[in-house]
Amino acid sequence: MSHANLAVATLLAPLIAFFVALVFFRKKHDVAAGIAILGGLVSLVGSVWLLLDPAPAPELITAPWFEVGGIKLAFGALLDGRTLLMGAVVGLITMCVLVYSLGYMKHDPGKGRFFAFLGLFEWAMLSFSYAPNLLQGFIFWELVGLASFLLIGFWYEKPSAVAAAKKAFIMTRIGDVGMFVGLILLFGDVHTLDILEIGNIFAAPGLPEGVSAGRVELLAGLLFLGVMGKSAQFPLHTWLPDAMEGPTPVSALLHSATMVAAGVFLFARFHELFLDAPTMMTIILAIAVFTALISSTMAMAANDMKKILAFSSISQLGFMIIGLAAGSLFAGLFHLMTHALFKALLFLTAGAYIHEFGTNDIVAIGRAGGRKMRVTTLGLFAGGFALAGVPIFAGFWSKEVILGALHGPGAEVFLIGAYAAAFMTAYYTFRMIFLIVLPNTDSKAIVEEPAGSQGGHGPADHGHAHGAPKAPGTMRAPILVLSIGAVIAGLPFFGDAVAGLLGRPHEAHHAAITEMILPVAIVLAGVALAWLDFGGKKAPQRGIVAWFPPLERALKNRWYIDAFYRKTIIRFVNAFAALMYGAETRGFDGAGDALGRGTMKVGVSTAKSHTGRLPIFVGTAVAVLAIVSLSIALG
Amino acid sequence: MNLESFVLLSLVLFTLGLYAVMARRNLIAILIGIELMLNAASLNFMAFNRFLPVEDPTVGQLFVLFIIGLAAAEVAIALSIILVVYRERKRIDVDDITELKG
Amino acid sequence: MGGMTGLLMALAVAGALLAVSLKNVLHAIFGLAVTLLAVAGLFVVLGSPFVGTMQVLIYVGGITVAMVFAVMLSTVVQTHQAESPWRRAGAAFVAVGFAVGVGLVIIGAGLPKGLAPALIEDAWSVRQLGTSLLGDYNVVFEVLSVVLLLAIIGAIVISRREEDVVTPAPAAAVEETHP
Repeated sequence: MSHANLAVATLLAPLIAFFVALVFFRKKHDVAAGIAILGGLVSLVGSVWLLLDPAPAPELITAPWFEVGGIKLAFGALLDGRTLLMGAVVGLITMCVLVYSLGYMKHDPGKGRFFAFLGLFEWAMLSFSYAPNLLQGFIFWELVGLASFLLIGFWYEKPSAVAAAKKAFIMTRIGDVGMFVGLILLFGDVHTLDILEIGNIFAAPGLPEGVSAGRVELLAGLLFLGVMGKSAQFPLHTWLPDAMEGPTPVSALLHSATMVAAGVFLFARFHELFLDAPTMMTIILAIAVFTALISSTMAMAANDMKKILAFSSISQLGFMIIGLAAGSLFAGLFHLMTHALFKALLFLTAGAYIHEFGTNDIVAIGRAGGRKMRVTTLGLFAGGFALAGVPIFAGFWSKEVILGALHGPGAEVFLIGAYAAAFMTAYYTFRMIFLIVLPNTDSKAIVEEPAGSQGGHGPADHGHAHGAPKAPGTMRAPILVLSIGAVIAGLPFFGDAVAGLLGRPHEAHHAAITEMILPVAIVLAGVALAWLDFGGKKAPQRGIVAWFPPLERALKNRWYIDAFYRKTIIRFVNAFAALMYGAETRGFDGAGDALGRGTMKVGVSTAKSHTGRLPIFVGTAVAVLAIVSLSIALG
Repeated sequence: MNLESFVLLSLVLFTLGLYAVMARRNLIAILIGIELMLNAASLNFMAFNRFLPVEDPTVGQLFVLFIIGLAAAEVAIALSIILVVYRERKRIDVDDITELKG
Repeated sequence: MGGMTGLLMALAVAGALLAVSLKNVLHAIFGLAVTLLAVAGLFVVLGSPFVGTMQVLIYVGGITVAMVFAVMLSTVVQTHQAESPWRRAGAAFVAVGFAVGVGLVIIGAGLPKGLAPALIEDAWSVRQLGTSLLGDYNVVFEVLSVVLLLAIIGAIVISRREEDVVTPAPAAAVEETHP
């Protein structure tokens, strides 16, 4: 099959599935689910096929859309290393989540709608990933945001879900505005919308003609605003933890593996441009390290499993950006790939626990017998080890490449920050694992949300209360598949293949054993500390942060960043809105009304001079003509 | 026979037409005034066409033909309006028709 | 100025004076007919017998007759009350003012005397007229025919009797909504 046909099938299958499922089968849940899964399957096969059979040079498969002012616009697919990798990741994770949702959303009254929305998301995400020009990229970037909004607010009867959906939409939009300005300026500078061409322009040695160094820094900064919003980097990170209000499969798909990675992907897509902006790259590096640090600290104090994973997503996205900002395209995208696998896996295991026990609280899950769910716990181990960076697991290799990319003058500070974040990652990951697997009812761990407190879920629903708790087969299968991925995806064989695909074979850095000692030691230190705090028989299971109550409070309140926003920006915006409302209702409306009333009064009074007599009308007109002609003749 | 005399004749006809439109109350009389003005215009076209060095002398004649055609159309409409007014009020006095009064 | 031309001009003015001054509308129409015929004659003098013929056919033969029919159908030969002298005086004042102004402009414009120098007699032929009408100005010609068609349809629609019309008379509606 030709690449063109494959690409078209890959891109359109989810759209068709979305449309058919939403329009015709919204109430026939199983049919809708089947259609969505069929669409997902086509996309998975197509994207993986395209990945395994890459053309020697980047391929452009487009259909013309319109032409304006000499700029030809087209929809289609750009097939090069970056898009192929991203497409396959999206296809695979979406497929896993679709199958998983069969079990997770089995009894949900909105199941048909849910699957349709997943189709919409997959279509938008794939079209964004494969976008050959800025316009298509931007359109689908926003559509991805829309899908995210719809899916976070999927349970729209929950006020918190609605609020979270709005928050996510608005916060990402703040970044998007900057990015949109950046895209317009970029187009003004390079006079093309073609992404490949833009890449080539900036890849050439030196700066492009007519573009100053400061201008490139500005462009990079504006584009990074979009990345910041989408990939939840400080200070626009606060929406992601709230986005956990959506169903867990959504969190797995959108808010860890794919959608939030769209920001990172955008960064990678314009990597050539960013490389021309060294100052901005340093700032980005600082932001990413800071983000990775604060989000890991937040994860250390959280008890809600999905929140822990959300904080961890923010921090891992920070890691990806660290890799890219350090100059290595491969490091960022390789971590994106491995992270997609193991984080989606962790979310799916979290979903399985939540589905079973009706609580997000890891202490409650552990005490209710989480470890008895064998496949799920296996997934927890595989994903957790990969996240923590335990050697030979996927996350270890990709994080290793990122840390390896961080060298050169002035990188020490960032390296220390990254190591600290890696240490905390290991700590909070194993805290989560120990609390679930090694529950200790005598410990001081506090249950914040007892098992079964979430309506609609819980063991009573499933009818297998006797015997070991067990997730449905449709949920176990994706967990197993992703577990394999989380174990093997980082192996050097895969790393070399990805680096080759990206055209950066030299970046697949193979560290010597001696170089690996420090990172491994740091991870083990984190694990050891977690064991002391949570693992051992007599462990207090309260964690080191509990020794400093003010610190713990700060962490539980996410460093008060949300509160700070509420007190400052949101209060200011609300005040401004109130002011504008007053100006609108009293000022503009009042003026408008007065103008209208005045006009009507003037109209009523002048209307009296209209007698309605035709001869007077004609006479007036002729008299004026006479005066004009007389003045011409005499003057 | 010169251009000025024709133009002045046209002016006289036009002025008389204007006077009729302004002074008369009978709608048909007003229509007569309008016809006079149209004829004045036609006469102007023909005269300028004849006395000035125009590139294509058919243009002026065509204008007159078109004016005649439009006048026919106008009269058809105007007369039917007049008939309706008469049916409504049993009179055709312009002073009765003051619907546009403010 | 040739005697013929002068006579025609005098006839035209005389007819127009009758047309605007006679109280009886039928008489006024006959005055108009005189003017129209005189103008047709002037067209012939100006070198276009064809347009003159058209003027006679359509104006005198068609329009004037239509007006006479209208007068007969409306049975109003004379307005109930004659126009007041004030009205006539006002109209005359405005019209004369206009005439004086425009006349001064015309005289001041210094129009050329005599015939145009390069006059191609062939261009005045009916053949040439037809070629222009169906050639360069074909679109105008076609549009005019559509206008005529619409005028006919409009005339029929407007003058239909009330009981045939489905919608209420617009005049009544306007009066009701008036403040």
